Amino acid sequence: MGDLNDDASAYAGARATAESIERGGSGLGVNDLLAKVMAAGMPEQTPAEPKAAADVAPAVDVDTLAATIATIAGRYLPEQHLSPDADFFDAGGTSVHAVELVAELERELGIEFDLDEVFADARPISLARRWAEATGNVLPAPTPRVEPPPAATRLPAAPATPYTTAGREDLDQILADLALADRLPFTSSPEPLPPRRILLTGATGFLGSHMLLDLLRHSDAHVYCLVRAADETAAATRLGEALKSYKLPWSSEIRRRITVLPGDIRQPHLGLSDDLWNSLAHELDSIVGVAAAVDFLRGYHSLRQSNVLGALTLAELAATGRPKPLHHISSVAVFNEVGITAMGEDDPLAHIDRLIAGYDQSKWAAEVALRRARDHGLIVTAMRPGGIGGHTKTGAYNPQDLSSGFLSAFGRFRTVPAFHYLNAAPVDWVSRTAVAVVCEPDAWGYDYNLTGVPNTLDDVVRDMAFGGMHVRVQEWDEWRADAVARLQSEEIPELAFLSRVLQSPTALKLCEATIKGPAALDDRTAALVEALGLPPAARYDARAQLKTFEKLADDGLGRLPQKDDRPYLWFTETTEGTVGEFGRPADTPCSMALTLSIASMHQLVSERRVDVRGTLTCPAVHAEPVTVERGDIVVRPDEGIPEQHGLRHQLLSYRLELVDADGGRWWLDGRKYARARRDVWRQTRALTVEIGREGESASLKGEVVVPADSYVRDQIDGIKVDPRLTSQEKRAAKLTWLAWFGMEMGKGMLGPFARVAADLLDLRRTTTPTERNR
Amino acid sequence: MIFRTINPRTTTRPALRKVRTGAALRPLQHRLDPARVEEIPFRAADGVRLGLTRIDSGDRDRPAVLILHGHTASADMFVQPETRNLVDVLLDGGYEPWLLDWRGSCRLPNNETGRKYTYDDVALYDIPEAVNHIRRRIGDRPLFVVAHCIGSLSLSLSMTAGLVPGLAGVVSQGVFLTPKLAGSTSLRMSVAAELLKSRIDHIPVDFRKVGLWSKYTPLFALASRKASCPDPTCQILHNSAWCSGASLFVHEQLSEATHNRLADLLGPAPLWILPHLRRIELARSVVRWHDTDYRYRALPPNALDAAARIDTPVLLLAGSENGLWLDSQELCRDILARRQPQLDVEYIEIPGYGHLDTFLGRGAALDVFGHILDFLGERR
Repeated sequence: MGDLNDDASAYAGARATAESIERGGSGLGVNDLLAKVMAAGMPEQTPAEPKAAADVAPAVDVDTLAATIATIAGRYLPEQHLSPDADFFDAGGTSVHAVELVAELERELGIEFDLDEVFADARPISLARRWAEATGNVLPAPTPRVEPPPAATRLPAAPATPYTTAGREDLDQILADLALADRLPFTSSPEPLPPRRILLTGATGFLGSHMLLDLLRHSDAHVYCLVRAADETAAATRLGEALKSYKLPWSSEIRRRITVLPGDIRQPHLGLSDDLWNSLAHELDSIVGVAAAVDFLRGYHSLRQSNVLGALTLAELAATGRPKPLHHISSVAVFNEVGITAMGEDDPLAHIDRLIAGYDQSKWAAEVALRRARDHGLIVTAMRPGGIGGHTKTGAYNPQDLSSGFLSAFGRFRTVPAFHYLNAAPVDWVSRTAVAVVCEPDAWGYDYNLTGVPNTLDDVVRDMAFGGMHVRVQEWDEWRADAVARLQSEEIPELAFLSRVLQSPTALKLCEATIKGPAALDDRTAALVEALGLPPAARYDARAQLKTFEKLADDGLGRLPQKDDRPYLWFTETTEGTVGEFGRPADTPCSMALTLSIASMHQLVSERRVDVRGTLTCPAVHAEPVTVERGDIVVRPDEGIPEQHGLRHQLLSYRLELVDADGGRWWLDGRKYARARRDVWRQTRALTVEIGREGESASLKGEVVVPADSYVRDQIDGIKVDPRLTSQEKRAAKLTWLAWFGMEMGKGMLGPFARVAADLLDLRRTTTPTERNR
Repeated sequence: MIFRTINPRTTTRPALRKVRTGAALRPLQHRLDPARVEEIPFRAADGVRLGLTRIDSGDRDRPAVLILHGHTASADMFVQPETRNLVDVLLDGGYEPWLLDWRGSCRLPNNETGRKYTYDDVALYDIPEAVNHIRRRIGDRPLFVVAHCIGSLSLSLSMTAGLVPGLAGVVSQGVFLTPKLAGSTSLRMSVAAELLKSRIDHIPVDFRKVGLWSKYTPLFALASRKASCPDPTCQILHNSAWCSGASLFVHEQLSEATHNRLADLLGPAPLWILPHLRRIELARSVVRWHDTDYRYRALPPNALDAAARIDTPVLLLAGSENGLWLDSQELCRDILARRQPQLDVEYIEIPGYGHLDTFLGRGAALDVFGHILDFLGERR
């Protein structure tokens, strides 16, 4: 994710340069720039064109401009080449590349494209045509290269509507794509048997890779994975890398049960040779289509190859040769219309003319096209996950997923927008349930919502408070404005994509529909899960999200409270006692005034650590008080296991770094021990300390004790909590800390006593009774 | 009433104890070619009959891997016919598996009717003698050990005693030097077992062997509380392992065939082992039982203190949902990293797995054995 930052700032820089050029009225005209680039960039490919461009000065052919854009765009692609009517993203470009491309086009051509336009339709020819329409100073393109929809499917002119409608061009294309389903062959029903040979697409994706493992675990099938790569070795490497990145195993045991097929979902016959296509058509007995381009910024034209035509190619494979069921991973995006009232498994899908975002349109079109395929006899299962949350056990998450982005934004900004429901389920449940459908013939051919139990706003706020993150609720518009402002001012590279989504008008429609949508219903899925004895859907709550949140924080997307933040809870501790040099009586007074604090409850539960600041006063160290620069207290270190064989269990360990007034550095190591003795109260307060200069061994040792009368005053009554919290939250925080600490100390003190009691019990004679059953 | 030891009607019975399982080893249940399975007659130095099995790979140059089962399990758990098992994977990976049935195996009668032992005996006699025997057979080929649960715990005692020097690598599953049980399990083990021990000497797991109405009936009833699975054997292993409240496996990780075979795979747990287990668990480290018996003085009083004697790389494996030993392995890694930083110790957590299912689970080959192969492969 590191390079994202560089790219984004490079983009900002380039944009600023281009803007300054425009403001300053740079002497160069568009055509001059065009000529310059084409002379430099592509002399051997189109030798005649620079001349033409120079000759026909005022009017630039759209095709020529498209070719130029294609040349520039080609530099960002793995194949170093892009044809003018191919989509930049389909050819392997990423969102980051798109940002760079826009900057590059500005720099070289002086044409400023809106980033959203590029996302909506990233074919150079479309970009050129749009620029032409906007400026109006070029010849119209002689032949538009968009596939013309059949006349019969063209829409009548749309009447004025109260809602935002999809683009006319998009609707035409969607209708044309739906008609492709009518060309599928007719087929008969497949054998209702658990599959033995499965084709899986999208195995390198987040859901796909989890499904691959679940297919292997829960069936005896051999799985063919279609992976986009040049050859089989590259494909296997790519698949292995993907699995490892999601913390999934990749070993010889997995490789022996899969076959990796280099291919491409967007190409006819999946980019496979005819022989392979034919043998697959006759050998496979199940097809699972998970592959999709998941990008909320790109438009329908940019996504249809992967999301719609890809699905239709799989349907063709399913209907050819031996009949086999097609299991299609759709999305609740098919309901993603602002104001939809119900999202049940058999409820009508959204109105296509009210779907704005290209992703929603493409998932809708794919599902509707496959519904038509059902009329050709094909068994099609449509499974619609909602948000797919991180794995509850490994924490693996999808960094490009909107819900991960939102989750980290919630935790970082401590605010949430007022949504109705979050239809999200963890990937392990979604994957397991989807695989159960694939493996159970009785479940084939229906629609399922794999949305789990929806989270309400209340649930989320409560969960986050439970995790020590007290969030405040805002209206969606207010939240969005705040979040965008903070994302821009704080420069968080890992969240750049979220910032882009929150500023894209079409992606915003998608977000708005998600935020305001109803709870998705999953009656059929729930019935299936129960019938098969699978783990029922559980709410994706704080506990289930914990691993994901920790991983988000590790990767820089999320942020856990840290040592230097304003503490969540703190109190003071004073100790008094004496120390002395080794081998001498401990007669030098030594006292400490410490402030113990925690930044979050998470720190306690995961690291069992309390932060320490304060001063130490001891003439043997320095005449002046010595400052505790940083320090940690670990509660019950090593589960209390004694350092040496014996009954002296560890209760607390202090490790402090000290700086004296002359800049001399010291360390202090303190331990509290639990022993099976009756002075329990003193054991919890007495600290055995060793003090030494940094890098040297201990020079002083002794014991300091918390005075009995100050304990309750300082450490119970004196607990302070972050003043930003409400009094209810403060009280809860204080009680949680006391309960946790009390439990830990109780457990620690019990350790040695339990061992002594067991030793006494072992004195009993162990008889072996004559063993008879009855 | 149900716990009464002497029933007036039974006083007339002969004093001879009925031995329900034969003195000989129960046959191994596997789907390997019988010609490739070599059963070696093997007795420990104190005279106890043990089982040692070599799986012949037809290749004399392979590194050997000794596999140790857990207490009350047996070598059957590594050759189970219904799923792809560890022995299959090791054979395909180019190793020669050796299976030891140490004295706590359910293929042997010791747990139910045999003579008492402690884990000291396992660490002092069974494991070192098996290793020596294998060494005599394989010469200077490398020898690895893969150990599960108590097999691994006893192995840690042997290793820290220096009785099995020069291993090429050790894979430990579930627990190693720092056993840790849940508080409720520990409590039941300490208190409830103390109350039961004068009445019964083992807790069976197979309902069919003791019948519906026996003095164990209340134990089965107790184990069935809040259980989701109706199978009594599953209840007394999964819902409450030998009535301790712990869970031995994640239910959905087992195939149906394995689930139905649980009574073959795991046997009754003797109660007379509990004092040693309790001492180990409360100390949270592996400790010797015999303090005054000089025959055992080769063993260290506390294996964790003697961990510096470990001379081999160790891979600590544990399922993230281990319902018996909890996060003992992670704790062990942390403590060894702090106290013995020179040791080569690695910890891998298997997400979604419990304790036994790391070997018995239907997906174990995919999720677990790959890690074992990787570890062995780097050191062979």
